[in-house]
Amino acid sequence: MMSSVIKRVAVCAGTALLVVSCAKQNKQPFYNTGVVYCSESNPVTFNPQLDTSSTTSDATSHQLYDRLLDFDPDSGRIVPSLASSWLVSEDGLTYAFQLRRDVAFHTTDFFTPTRTFNANDVIFSIDRWRLESHPFHNVSSGSYPYFESLGLADNIADVTRVNGYRVEITLKRRDSSFLANLATDFAVILSEEYAAQLFEQGNPSQIDQLPVGTGPYRFDSFRKDSYIKYLHHEDYWRALEGDVADKSLEDESLEESSDGILASDRDLSAEENVANGEDLNQATVEKAPSASVKQLIFDITPRSSLRLAKLMTGECDATAFPAQTELEVIRNREDLTLAEKPGLNIGFWAFNTQRPPFDNPNVRRALAFAIDKNTLLEAVYFDSASRAKSLLPAASWAYQNDADDTAYNPVLARSLLAEAGIEPGFSMTIWAMPVERAYNPNAIKMAELIQRYLREVGVEANIVTYDWKTFRRHLQEGLHDSVLIGWSADNGDPDNFYRPLLSCGAIPSGTNRAMWCDEDYDRLINEALKTEDLDKRRAIYHQVNRLMYERLPLVPIAHAYRYQAYRNEVKGMTINPFGGVRFGGVEKVL
Amino acid sequence: MPQYSLYEEEFHPSPWQRTWRAFKESHIAMAGAVLLCVFVVFALFAPLLTPYGVNEQNIDGLLVPPSWTGNGSISHLFGTDSLGRDLFTRVIYGCRVTLGSAFITVVLAMLVGVSLGAFAGMLRGVRSSIANHLPDALMAIPTLLIAIIIVAIFGTGLVNSMWAITLALIPQFVHHTRSLVRTEMKKDYIVASKLDGANKWQLFTYSILPNMTEMLVVQGTIALSIAVIDISALGFLNLGAQSPLPELGAILSDGLDVTYLAPWNVALPGMAIFFLVLSINVVGDGLRSALRKRVNH
Amino acid sequence: MIRILARYSILFVLTLLVLAVMSFSLAYLFPGDVLENLTGIVPANDAQRLALERQFRLDQSYFIQFFYYLSNLFAGDWGYSFTSGIALRDEIGIAMPATIELATYSIMIALFVGIPLGYYAGMRCYSTSDYIINTSSITTYSFPVFWLALLLILVFSLQLDKAPLSGRISLLFDVEPVSGFILLDILLSDMQNKSLAFKDALSHLTLPTVAIGAVSTASMVRITRRSVIDARHQPYIAAAVSRGLSGWQIFFRHILRNALLPILPLMAIQITTLITNTMIVETLFSWPGIGNWLIQAIYQRDYPALRVGMLSVSTLVITLTITVDMFNRLIDPSREKYEHAAI
Repeated sequence: MMSSVIKRVAVCAGTALLVVSCAKQNKQPFYNTGVVYCSESNPVTFNPQLDTSSTTSDATSHQLYDRLLDFDPDSGRIVPSLASSWLVSEDGLTYAFQLRRDVAFHTTDFFTPTRTFNANDVIFSIDRWRLESHPFHNVSSGSYPYFESLGLADNIADVTRVNGYRVEITLKRRDSSFLANLATDFAVILSEEYAAQLFEQGNPSQIDQLPVGTGPYRFDSFRKDSYIKYLHHEDYWRALEGDVADKSLEDESLEESSDGILASDRDLSAEENVANGEDLNQATVEKAPSASVKQLIFDITPRSSLRLAKLMTGECDATAFPAQTELEVIRNREDLTLAEKPGLNIGFWAFNTQRPPFDNPNVRRALAFAIDKNTLLEAVYFDSASRAKSLLPAASWAYQNDADDTAYNPVLARSLLAEAGIEPGFSMTIWAMPVERAYNPNAIKMAELIQRYLREVGVEANIVTYDWKTFRRHLQEGLHDSVLIGWSADNGDPDNFYRPLLSCGAIPSGTNRAMWCDEDYDRLINEALKTEDLDKRRAIYHQVNRLMYERLPLVPIAHAYRYQAYRNEVKGMTINPFGGVRFGGVEKVL
Repeated sequence: MPQYSLYEEEFHPSPWQRTWRAFKESHIAMAGAVLLCVFVVFALFAPLLTPYGVNEQNIDGLLVPPSWTGNGSISHLFGTDSLGRDLFTRVIYGCRVTLGSAFITVVLAMLVGVSLGAFAGMLRGVRSSIANHLPDALMAIPTLLIAIIIVAIFGTGLVNSMWAITLALIPQFVHHTRSLVRTEMKKDYIVASKLDGANKWQLFTYSILPNMTEMLVVQGTIALSIAVIDISALGFLNLGAQSPLPELGAILSDGLDVTYLAPWNVALPGMAIFFLVLSINVVGDGLRSALRKRVNH
Repeated sequence: MIRILARYSILFVLTLLVLAVMSFSLAYLFPGDVLENLTGIVPANDAQRLALERQFRLDQSYFIQFFYYLSNLFAGDWGYSFTSGIALRDEIGIAMPATIELATYSIMIALFVGIPLGYYAGMRCYSTSDYIINTSSITTYSFPVFWLALLLILVFSLQLDKAPLSGRISLLFDVEPVSGFILLDILLSDMQNKSLAFKDALSHLTLPTVAIGAVSTASMVRITRRSVIDARHQPYIAAAVSRGLSGWQIFFRHILRNALLPILPLMAIQITTLITNTMIVETLFSWPGIGNWLIQAIYQRDYPALRVGMLSVSTLVITLTITVDMFNRLIDPSREKYEHAAI
């Protein structure tokens, strides 16, 4: 009797546990009203001007803000955003932007805008990082690393307001990558009205903590190490205007361009506008958020395995940076999608061209012919990368599909070495970087593979590695014969690859690991910046590729893919190779 | 009192022998003891038993599955981890590090705890009150909290986590020693010794300490199982042993990153901790009931 | 009765004072400069340093500093976290209830499952069912709680997809914190989707509660079983049996209550283990509780947070322990005589 009572109690307790544990999260329609993104870390600030880390720009740039211009994720071309059109003067020094009308800023608990976006906001946003005397320049950290690293502030002579919806930027030197810089994640447009209000309240630093922008989502709340919550921006301009409205604005800009300086630039600007016309057809780069998505949540989860776990259980709809080892797991799951796209990066094998015998192009070429890049791709990147032919990945508009490439040819390698007077048994060093990067997830393994190939052509390679800090210091001192390293770019402009990696000026700044200084090369890449015509620039870069193939300061190896993993019910996710994730236009469908 | 036996051949087993007999009767306890012996052998002879170096990496054999699975290889019994280190080797060394450091921790805590407890148990009045309640209050502070504070002051590391666990274990020994000393002090044989003129030190070493060994053994096994769990928990939370030191909790924590690809990296070290603790608990339980049987006899 | 209460209040206050002194001295024990540890500000020059030292009373004697610290604690000014810049009182105010909630449900499982099972096993000791209960309890008790939680995640979350693995509730729900207990808050709130939110929160609670509860239940079973067996061997049971009482009567009149008495002080010790386990499991389930919060704080060396966090957790544990102990003292008359010298 007693035991049966106790038994019953025990059984009841057991079943209660079971029932609770079986209370499975039903896929109610409510769960479709929000998108949860598992991000890897806390944003440093909510203003991407202040920080170059991808965490910050992922969390803010395309969610809260818009830029004057955008990159088209497919072609890499620059397309209009808040600037509906733009004109460049003949000397390439004056840029005039026609701004979009009726673009609403976020209405939040802490700010209610009384006016829509206009020229003042553009001037404020640019002057903030450009002018040290600007009242907001020293607010928060006071450093704007992206713009500083490019010396952009020094190159801008003036930013002036022509009328409420037209702004002119004057440069000191010609720079055809200027527009690309305005389209990066960092060149966001802030609200001048909000700033003025905060300044009056004596609390200017709030501008970077409680952000206001024009983007598809507005800020709701942020808890460090746990989440960021954004709400749907009801008055988002892309949701209100269609392509038709874009066209009408385009017409308006043409009408208005009859005044002052712009008129005198008509000849060239006409040509430029044709290009713009093309671009406008693709103007829907960033989409308005689907009306069904009311919330966007960044669930901050530093551990990559936990992000994957949350993706599997459906607690996250999409996740940042799946680890290379996890890709196979994601591919094998039927409820998950793994999107991949070549990223803006390059992994390469650079020779120290200032050390004999590597100053001889034939030696470098011989070594390049001795290795089989395809094996490297398979063994080191697990096929998560594409073969590199030149410096530029396929995502760039100047990518050359038919660029010359060194093929595996040990016979040729041996004869080239013999020609150059290298005896069999010659020994050299391969420096392998000690850290894991997307462009080279395992440099030591790659070095071991290369070592094996070189042995076949009679070259004895020693692998050298130090801790990352010492490694970079010794590289800077030029102690290496050759090094396995790489580069990740910030924007789609080809100059962002060619200049830092191989120009003479980049030797002291420590990005030119080949220590290569070639007059012809520098002349060509400088020439490429002097023209706005993409076709002309492309042709110049193809010449540069040819030159590189002949003189081969480095062997391009791979462009690693960028990955994004998301659940199948998430629609409209695209990888943006030119910056952070974009959630405008993403929705959930069961 | 002179003791003599009627029959010369009558055998009087010592208390320990009687305990051992009672212990042997339980098959489960014996199984636990055998398992514990295996772990102790692992811990003592780890370098002889393992086929690879503990941090020896094999770039060509990353995440090799355990040998009993389809595509496993017999050269790596438990498979390898994400750096190509042999998991069997690491788990064996892990037993050595975890069990060894837990053992040292318990011995230290026991030494300090027993001295403090004996001291407190022999005191009277206000001093006794303080000596009694401070450890009790300390006992209430969770181990993890003590560990966090120690890490904040001295930094992470196996040794620091050992200090933290020692600190956390001391109050238990103090508590038990104190109550034992206090009960013993009231007994007649102590009064007799006192009347014989024994001072406090003599009372403790000659009269009380021999009566404490059983309590210490039982408490020691309990403390050992707690210490193993806590050391591995701190290793797991990255507050204790730091990778690449082969501590079972730290190995488990390393394996977390490849859970989906290589579940054995989480399963096997976890299993090792589990069996280690289980064997200690089973032996402790067996000892306790054997002692109880002897006392009740 | 009043004397006991008075004694325990004195003990409580003294213990808290000792803890306060310990947490105060931590500021001096943490590596680095005291001022920087406390404020997170690196003074640019000597003048600023002096001004800051004056502001935080670091120029005064330790006694006055301690008094200042205490008065700040009572005034509710607990300082600010280095990393988030949010007032520590607010952060702890959110994290602490989350931990208490998890611990409460786990202890409920331990009490409502562990004690009956323990009684059952104790009454039937050395039978097959006792054997099974005892073996499974010692097995469960030997699980490192973090590994158990991991196994639960692997099986129930990832393989069977039965329960979520992180947080208290899906981030899509917006629950206004009133009491801090999520289930209660959902019931109190006037949100839409109330039942959906409740179900969601419940499914989030399940796995961590089971993980912590299992270990606590196992030790509860062992403690109860032992205590029941001991009670059954007492002379008064033999007396009762000889008086001809039935098994039921003996159980209810003599064993039930007498076996509970020794369990209570052991439960007080269990509270510490319970809180430690809760804190560890929180980190695995990303539960926004005090354990998770403290471990984040230690990773980031957030000294003010550690100092106040340590004080609040130990205060919680000691309050619980002393309350249980006092309760035990009040209902257990036998303790009067041999603990007379205690205070």
